[in-house]
Amino acid sequence: MERIAIVGIDCRFPGAPGTGAYWDLLMRSGDGVGPVPAQRWNAAEFHSPAGEAGHSNTTQGGFIDEPDAFDNEFFTVSPREAAAMDPQQRLLLQCAWRAVEDAGLAPQRLAGTATGVYVGIMGNEWAQVHLTDYPHVTAQAGSGNGYCMTANRISYHLDLKGPSLAVDTACSSSLVAVHLAANALLSGECDYALACGVNVAVTPALSIFYTQAGLSAPDGRCKPFSAEADGIGRGEGVGAVLLCRLSDAVERGLPVYAVIRGTAVNQDGRSNGLTAPNRWAQQDVLAAAYRRAGVAPADVAFTEGHGTGTALGDMMEVKALAHHHKGRGKPMALGSVKGNLGHTEGAAGIAGLIKVALSLHHRTVPASRFAAKENPALRLKEAGLRLLKAPLRLPAGPTLAGLSSFGMGGTNAHAVLESAPPRAARPEPAARPGPAGLGVPVLTLTAPTADALRRNLLTQADALAARRVPAGPLSWTSHRTKTGHRYRFAVPARDTGELAALLRDAATDDAVLARFAQAPAGRPRLAFLFTGQGSQYPAMTAGLYRESALYRHFFDEADAALLPHTGHSVRDLVLAGDEAVNRTAEAQPALFAVGYALGRSLLELGAAPAAVLGHSVGEYAAACLAGVFPLEAAARLIAARGALMQRLPEGGGMLAVLAGHDEVAGFAAEEPEVSIAVVNGPKATVLSGDSGALMRVGKRLTDHRIRTRPLNVSHAFHSALMDPMLEPFAEIAREVGGGVPRIPLYSTLRGRLLADDEPMDAAYWTDHVRRPVLFADAAGRLFDDGPTHAVEAGPRPVLAALARKLGPPVSGTRPAFVLPVRGPESGAEDLAEALAALYRGGLDPDWDAAAAPGDRVPQRLAPYAFATAHRYWTRNTAHLTAPAAPAPQAAAPAPAPTAAPPGVLVLERAEESEPVWAAALEAVGQVGGYETGELAPHLRLYEDLGFDSVMVMELKTRLDELLPGTGGLTVQDLLPRLATLGDLVAFLRECNPQGRQTAAGSGWTPKERTA
Amino acid sequence: MTDHPQAPPAPQPRQTYLASAGTALPGDPVDNAALAKALGVNEEWIEVFIGTKTRHFARDLATGTVRWSLADLCAQAAERALAAGGTDPSEIEFIVLGTATPDTLMPATVNHVADRLGLDHVPTFQLQSGCAGAVQALSVARTMVASGEHRTGLVIGGDVCSKHLDLQRDLSSAAPSDLVNFVLFGDGAGAAVITDEPRGAGVALRRTLNRFTGLGRAPGQVIEWFGLADRHDDRQAVTEDYKAIEEAVPVMAVEILWELLDDLEWSADRLDYLLPPQLSGRMTRRITEQLDVPGAREISCVADTGNNGNALPFLQLEQLLTRMSAGERALAVAIESSKWIKAGFALEKI
Repeated sequence: MERIAIVGIDCRFPGAPGTGAYWDLLMRSGDGVGPVPAQRWNAAEFHSPAGEAGHSNTTQGGFIDEPDAFDNEFFTVSPREAAAMDPQQRLLLQCAWRAVEDAGLAPQRLAGTATGVYVGIMGNEWAQVHLTDYPHVTAQAGSGNGYCMTANRISYHLDLKGPSLAVDTACSSSLVAVHLAANALLSGECDYALACGVNVAVTPALSIFYTQAGLSAPDGRCKPFSAEADGIGRGEGVGAVLLCRLSDAVERGLPVYAVIRGTAVNQDGRSNGLTAPNRWAQQDVLAAAYRRAGVAPADVAFTEGHGTGTALGDMMEVKALAHHHKGRGKPMALGSVKGNLGHTEGAAGIAGLIKVALSLHHRTVPASRFAAKENPALRLKEAGLRLLKAPLRLPAGPTLAGLSSFGMGGTNAHAVLESAPPRAARPEPAARPGPAGLGVPVLTLTAPTADALRRNLLTQADALAARRVPAGPLSWTSHRTKTGHRYRFAVPARDTGELAALLRDAATDDAVLARFAQAPAGRPRLAFLFTGQGSQYPAMTAGLYRESALYRHFFDEADAALLPHTGHSVRDLVLAGDEAVNRTAEAQPALFAVGYALGRSLLELGAAPAAVLGHSVGEYAAACLAGVFPLEAAARLIAARGALMQRLPEGGGMLAVLAGHDEVAGFAAEEPEVSIAVVNGPKATVLSGDSGALMRVGKRLTDHRIRTRPLNVSHAFHSALMDPMLEPFAEIAREVGGGVPRIPLYSTLRGRLLADDEPMDAAYWTDHVRRPVLFADAAGRLFDDGPTHAVEAGPRPVLAALARKLGPPVSGTRPAFVLPVRGPESGAEDLAEALAALYRGGLDPDWDAAAAPGDRVPQRLAPYAFATAHRYWTRNTAHLTAPAAPAPQAAAPAPAPTAAPPGVLVLERAEESEPVWAAALEAVGQVGGYETGELAPHLRLYEDLGFDSVMVMELKTRLDELLPGTGGLTVQDLLPRLATLGDLVAFLRECNPQGRQTAAGSGWTPKERTA
Repeated sequence: MTDHPQAPPAPQPRQTYLASAGTALPGDPVDNAALAKALGVNEEWIEVFIGTKTRHFARDLATGTVRWSLADLCAQAAERALAAGGTDPSEIEFIVLGTATPDTLMPATVNHVADRLGLDHVPTFQLQSGCAGAVQALSVARTMVASGEHRTGLVIGGDVCSKHLDLQRDLSSAAPSDLVNFVLFGDGAGAAVITDEPRGAGVALRRTLNRFTGLGRAPGQVIEWFGLADRHDDRQAVTEDYKAIEEAVPVMAVEILWELLDDLEWSADRLDYLLPPQLSGRMTRRITEQLDVPGAREISCVADTGNNGNALPFLQLEQLLTRMSAGERALAVAIESSKWIKAGFALEKI
């Protein structure tokens, strides 16, 4: 049977705000259970140790932190709608998003696909509170409640077109959801499926129910299979896994945590009671799952049990397991996460599934809390079982695991999981035809707002600082996962450590952020500018050649094309740092090779130009890239051009003049052997011709206070001195031919865009030798047409500087200049920064081409960090008796995070005159440095008031002084009574009969207040 | 799983035995009254929150003069271990020393110990480790004997923590997290002779466990060392995250106990001795309660010796070897909270 791969995970459980924290909690056998947060309900009001009607026997439970926080802006949900939404819907949305990201997929990539959403849920408390508040049932309240909406909202916001449904089978809901998702994948109903579970406690209803049914643990903790097991404690949680068929996961190169081999669901029918667990039905569902998975029970190494820690439940479960495992050689390890979290009800199945998947992934099964004292009545050894009293290291090779989840109404589910096959756990690098490898990776991150970007930069910085990930795979994954939002951050990432520091800087320093982040308005329009002669130098682009496989490939390609015509390797000459590169015969083909290789590299990276321009010799690379002629033809022509010019007698020269064309033309007209060769800008012209004549013109220009500078050239290019080579050149050019550019080309011969009927043929190239270079005109027209970015493809930036001196375009602004090579020191980092700049400007590069082939391996990056600034919670907290008038609005956004709503922590003060109270206040105030007005009975000495053991010693001394009647306190007696200030006072009153008398009836200790 | 030696299928790894143990504690015990006076701290605070009664210091409390080096203490303990088992020093084929506080970074203290014992041309190892170092040393030694390549070796653990006992410091306003470092620790060393045959005490070393479990976790304890470039830095030499230690160590201890029991298929009821982790008098009491093996006799020493690091398991072992009778079983649990290292070993008297 096809197996189902778990490729992405996200979750939040008590004491664990994310997947990593969940694993940490499990590995240190942590306790997620604590007091009922005041925000949920007043636990004291509903507390009755004896379990009176309408009360719960516990004030504890497993609660997630910040259930009220929701990043509604991220999902473009209005505050009004967010406030009306069941927090289970909100939590699931965020969780689903992060689970997809965890698989190394951008959630946007699933938009429109047949991805199914299956949510297990059994709590509908938000609806019970808000849909019974009839005067305040709004339109939002309708869509904000109901099981269906939990799944449908995910489908809506992620635009998923597969089945979308919520499942309620009580405590087995989310494992049944996994079962349905797996079946849908197997039947081809969808290609991806999100299986989720959620449970948030808004009211004490179920705590009361468990108590009344005799199932509630007084300490709020499930103790699975333990001798101390005394019932259920409630827990909350939300979890989501992204599933797909294993073959698809391997084909798509998605990393797999573990695989689901088989699942089964059944019902115990008309058993010995609607809600009683049934051993026979559990036995059957195990058998069905083993059968479907095709495994022998004895091969299952460990099972995550349902393990609620009720006497009957644990017993039935062990008996059902015993049927399959009794007598096996090595006992099967057994544990349950309920010991850490409590019973997370609708989310219990997903909590177990995630635990098992992570165990198989990390090859260690965490110890099961409370297992050290195993329940002897279960006779586990005879059942072929043993409790996980210590973490179990799994051996190398495939491992099978089981997972049970049983519903109160008798719907049971079991799943058999297996460790991921090696190739699926660590996918092979994604293949890509063609050359690749920028040399230095580029890390990218996107977010919908600048604040969100800062927050997520910090998240990534923290994750990177905690665990090193190679920069290449990290960056490649970032392009696949962290994409699609408006604010784009991109930075070359040579070293992970440096990167972490830079991300932190960018998050905290807006100047740094501005350098590396941008919110582009639309798609960029790129212009490539190819640099001409004069820009060459020995060993140009040697660093880039060494570091970038991509550039190396195209430079080699150009060299191979030139070789038949140059007779020697231009590449070798350039890389050797030979000064000969300055000779015309070498300079021209070498510059062509550089321009071609840079241009082709950029094209391969997905940076396609909307227009090209080449300065004189640079026009060859521009034309070649624009499809005027193939590489071989261009190579032949440029090699011939250089060689023919080299053969011309020396004696000509060129003179740069700091003046405009018209002004210079006047001077040049007096010397027929001098002509204007180049017009680079409004105040940049170059004269060319006979050296003597040039000197004369130069002197006259100087006399007129016009600055000139002789250029270091061997020949007078673009002058009459070129005439002797024109015919032999034209002959070759005619053989080479040349067509119309397929990319708009701004000709420096014509000083404008070439029209559709203007081929770059022999006539063009011959004219091009002789006629002036009209760069200023061509570039001016180009910029008028509004490119957003101008990329200079040459061994150092020359044209960018010239272009900046041109006047502004007719409309809009000048393009941003992007410089893939900045000079002799340049390597791959400058090319990477150029690509990063284009990405920030809106380009979506082909990142596969940027990555070295071995780097195309997914890494699990820290998931998206959602904003927690907006809070939405109910005003209708549950009370023992219904409030006289409901709050005016069902729910409203709270402006800022608060530990608990105001009002809850305001306790009545004791009489000032009460001596023990006064003494305690004074002593605690003196030792801790508090005003007595700041102190209240509920405050915890260690956690809230910052007491430590030295302060306790001092407190003892002060109390001895202030309450001599207590007759000498000992620290040993004091220590266990220091949880809260109220505890301390209660203790002091016991020691001080006088105080007790006085305090009688003042009724302010928490216990008395609730009695 | 325990660290089984990676031996080829045949021959079978040899059984290893502890023949004897010996320990060395410097000078007279220093009680809380003396320590409180010397440091200017509250005596009752030490008793209540640390629960340690006495400790020994290699440094004179009044003058600050160093009277014993780690090498001195280790050599003394080793001599006693050799004498106790009737082992001739010439039989010793290797030495493994675990310590967190070597006398010098070079030469490694173990070589000075060899020198003092008159041993030459023997393999020596020094493992840089805190409370788990003694078990790591046992584990290495066990592997060496089990491999069949060596027959008899010395395993030593020791620490001189008083290097950080700065008597000049005014502690009247020190935070407990700082203060505790002055009252928790002590100095000492211990040693055991490990052999491939049951002689002397004749206690089989059935298992050793040594495992790093600190992935992604902040250290619970850090001891800095200073060089010429940073010796004037204002860093605290010893820092501990007591909250994390109090939370994690009992849980880890229970897991170590059960892992060893399960691995050996020993029942907790049949355990005769328990050697719990020796953090401080108070913490050790707490941990022992949680380990909850009432049938096993506890062997602890920290309340009398202070926390002297790698000496502790040998101090416990020395007591154990004198008490164990044939067929009895013992388990030792040690935890190094620096980077959360689980350690333990299992013994059975033949």
